[in-house]
Amino acid sequence: MSGLPLGSCVGCSQHRTDSLVRLGLSPDKWDVLIALAGNPNVGKSTVFNALTGLRQHTGNWPGKTIVRAEGVFAHQGKRMKIVDLPGTYSLQAGSVDEEVARDFILFGRPDVTIAVVDTTRLERNLNLVLQILDITDRVVVYLNLVDEARRRGIAVEARLLERELGVPVVAGIARERVGIDSLLDAVHRLSVGDILNQPYRLTQHTDEVEDTVAALAQVVDDTFPRVPNARWVALRLLNADEAVIEAVRSGELGQLGDEPAIVDHPVTTETARTHVLDTARRFRWDLPIDFHDRISERLYAATEEIAGKVQLRGLKKVGFDVDRTLDALLTSRWLGFPLMLAILAAVFWITIEGANVPSGMLATLLIDTAHPWLKGLGGAVGLPWWLNGFLCDGIYLATAWVIAVMLPPMAIFFPLFTLLEDFGYLPRVAFNLDALFRSAGAHGKQALTMCMGFGCNAAGVVATRVIDSPRERLIAIITNNFSLCNGRWPTQILIATIFIGALAPARLAGLVSAAAVVGIAVLGILVMFVTSWLLSRTVLRGEATSFSLELPPYRPPRILQTLYTSLIDRTLIVLWRAVVFAIPAGAVIWLVSNIYMGEASLAEHATTWLNPFGIFIGLNGVILLAYVVAIPANEIVIPTVLMLTVLTADVAGVGSGAGVMFELDNADATGQLLRAGGWTLLTAVNLMLFSLLHNPCSTTIYTIYRETQSVKWTTLAALLPLVMGLTVCFLVTQVWRLLG
Amino acid sequence: MVGPGFALIVFFGVTLLLALLAWPGVGVAPRLLRRSRLGERVRLEDALKHVFMCQQSGQVCSLESLAGRLEVSTAQAAPLLSRLEELGLVQVDGDGPVLTHDGVQTAVRIVRTHRLWERYLADRTGVPPIEWHDQAERMEHSLSPEQTDRLESRLGHPSWDPHGDPIPTSDGEIPPAPGIGLLSADTGCTVEVVHLEDEPREIYDALLDDGLVLGGRLAVIARTDRGVHVRSGGREWTLDSIAARNVSVRKLPAGTYAELDGITLLDVQPDETVRVVEISGACQGTQRRRLLDLGVVRGTEITPELVSAAGDPVAYRIRGALIALRGAQASWIAVERAENQDAAEVA
Repeated sequence: MSGLPLGSCVGCSQHRTDSLVRLGLSPDKWDVLIALAGNPNVGKSTVFNALTGLRQHTGNWPGKTIVRAEGVFAHQGKRMKIVDLPGTYSLQAGSVDEEVARDFILFGRPDVTIAVVDTTRLERNLNLVLQILDITDRVVVYLNLVDEARRRGIAVEARLLERELGVPVVAGIARERVGIDSLLDAVHRLSVGDILNQPYRLTQHTDEVEDTVAALAQVVDDTFPRVPNARWVALRLLNADEAVIEAVRSGELGQLGDEPAIVDHPVTTETARTHVLDTARRFRWDLPIDFHDRISERLYAATEEIAGKVQLRGLKKVGFDVDRTLDALLTSRWLGFPLMLAILAAVFWITIEGANVPSGMLATLLIDTAHPWLKGLGGAVGLPWWLNGFLCDGIYLATAWVIAVMLPPMAIFFPLFTLLEDFGYLPRVAFNLDALFRSAGAHGKQALTMCMGFGCNAAGVVATRVIDSPRERLIAIITNNFSLCNGRWPTQILIATIFIGALAPARLAGLVSAAAVVGIAVLGILVMFVTSWLLSRTVLRGEATSFSLELPPYRPPRILQTLYTSLIDRTLIVLWRAVVFAIPAGAVIWLVSNIYMGEASLAEHATTWLNPFGIFIGLNGVILLAYVVAIPANEIVIPTVLMLTVLTADVAGVGSGAGVMFELDNADATGQLLRAGGWTLLTAVNLMLFSLLHNPCSTTIYTIYRETQSVKWTTLAALLPLVMGLTVCFLVTQVWRLLG
Repeated sequence: MVGPGFALIVFFGVTLLLALLAWPGVGVAPRLLRRSRLGERVRLEDALKHVFMCQQSGQVCSLESLAGRLEVSTAQAAPLLSRLEELGLVQVDGDGPVLTHDGVQTAVRIVRTHRLWERYLADRTGVPPIEWHDQAERMEHSLSPEQTDRLESRLGHPSWDPHGDPIPTSDGEIPPAPGIGLLSADTGCTVEVVHLEDEPREIYDALLDDGLVLGGRLAVIARTDRGVHVRSGGREWTLDSIAARNVSVRKLPAGTYAELDGITLLDVQPDETVRVVEISGACQGTQRRRLLDLGVVRGTEITPELVSAAGDPVAYRIRGALIALRGAQASWIAVERAENQDAAEVA
């Protein structure tokens, strides 16, 4: 390594810019590019936040559904750009996460890579560090969570580790910003060339493998003299790593060295490059079948050796072992499930109770106050009635409705959920429930995405990213819709109160209708299990599967950061998508009610046309039309139903005109209106069933497409519940009529 | 208005009809689809492959063996051979059919697609081993050479199919099959399984039932008239000669541990520390990779620490981290208890 400024090789820096653009990084102005790598659950995002504060930006890696965070900060007059890589256990490119992380370090050539290490799990973490050191020299190791390690009786000598690894090691506690300044200092000194790293390199695999590796490494070295670690390239070629093979074929590998081109290297010829690949291919035939196992064994043998030298074991544990005590309680045979139910019930209760007041305030503000005001304003500035109606009654009202109903529960539910996740409880829920989900062919973590779905199905679908096994993840995505989302709860509660509660004596009415709603939610869970079981045995049978679940230590949750990230990452993104879809829905609702063909509006035509089929399956034309036009959001189904009922049943004195959604203040009045529209108890029961079993809202469908990147699975996820809903309504109706 | 009883009858009638038409495997539609696949080209390619396979194993195939392989009468098989001859893929001389240069090229391409597809099924999907061969039999006829090449690079240029057969390169090169037959292995030595023949299906199924997997280890105890007596995973049994003929092995250097005492991670009591001996060869693809990445390699110490409320999964302390594994995964991990290990050190 030399102290020359980076990028002095003009061709190289151009080449690197191209690579970075391909990796989704805009060629911004920055002086130092930092990559942040580490195992999952080591506090990587805490380090990231400690470095960048709020100046960060999240998005996806190009073409991948993997979150990427990047941020910018200044240090000693330099602009530092930091990219958070996905948390991985290794860099052998076995999964998409690993591929993304490896490609960034290899082809993005960050000036410094920070490897965050959890001191309590040093061996496992060093495994990744050694693999990073194989690719790049410019590494700083941050030993995080030294306090937690100390509590467990583990201490690591940072100086010794530094000597072993040959790169700077900084010990600290990211949550308390301990060691962050020293980390920055090391990054700075490494980037300007004050420190010369001499990283640890694995040597000597087992003899059989070693000869092959050494022979190939020689060929690589002859062809690409600037490559810093020919052995690593040789190993990757023997592993038939597609990205590395491609880099050799195109000659890009020759550009990857850290050293600036002081002497002109002869450009590698195509023949030479083909020779490398051919040799690698020939050698691959002779590898033992457990080649991959041996590589991992060797890596772990090395980490064990290093950890043994630098770790002080057998220290007295400080305080009592919180983790084991909590775990014994939370996963115990008798208390595990009751405690889980109590905690989840509390989360739902807080959400429902807490959302009432802000929801009411938002409705008063956005619908009762702002809507007439806007409409008046539109009239005052001389908008024609149709444009004013289209904008205010159609687009604005639908959007306002979605925000008022959706925002408050999500803004409470998601942070609570994230707090439980941060604390470490959610993996224990998955751990406890895995046996149940396994019998349905699913992953225990589906319990979490299912719960998330009770908040919002789109968010539930995004949350399935925590499931790293392809088959189980698809199952979780396709069945998430069977969790009754918070857009559907109000519909269930309203209809149950009006029609089911009325069946019981007045003092029991509340209880009976509540039981009906809970019954529907439980039915949803049952359907989810049955569907998961069927999917895993039929269409998804051939998808790959692999189970793993790490139970991270309990940690005090970081409340402010959780609030911030769950608001930004979950709530606002989902809300934004919902609003984008609500706007055209509002427009369509208004238009079908106000465009006339002959005597009647489009809505009336459609209702009349759909009515026979609707009645046949125990619903009616209004409900079907409402579900068609209100596909973007379940929240606006009831307002649309009421408006259409007024429009088609010619009820006088209610509502605000064609195409203007509304709700009535009391349930009795709503009930009278619906009964005037021809509703019976059967209609109500079927609506409750159909509200549970129908296609996901368009926000969720779009999210499913984004996550699966597959038209096939998206179509299945959209149509399966719809077909089930229609069938169930049909069967209930016919049996009802047969018996009644 | 349609009467509810009538509506229900119509509904169940239609459902039944749909089931009859489309039920996977036995419905009318799947049957028709299967039949249409057995077009002339498919049968020609299968015939070509049979001739090639015979040649590979140093035999010359007959019309009878061909008819038997394709499950047709000899009268139906004869025109296939003449058609292959017309196409210049086969020469029929006194002893029987022999492949021409073009014939070899075509056959190798089919074999290559077949084995790559088996590799794909093993590495990237959850399709059970017993179905790999049949699915690959269908795919070998429908992938173009370009698609096959793309598949190869997606899979990372594998050298072996999941049964241990070499995968020909795009240039048509095939390395020699590895190992020796289990029948010719010396008694008293420890061997590693390097190839399991997947045809006929019944024998392969029996081999899988016996717990034989690629990379699995066997101690060869004795050769009897009935077959080979072997020990593995703490139990002994005899593989009959027919089954043994379908197994190839590689002799391991003397001193390699000869037997496992058959304890897996599943048998270990909470808070007892054990050492990993090996991960079973039955655990392949992403599953194996994940275990290796988590640090489950030969020699790793593992302690069960926490049993979930339902009993399965169990969380294990592995290299400092607490990892939950399902029972099925734990049963892949062969371990040894600490006392055995001490005894070994004393010896």
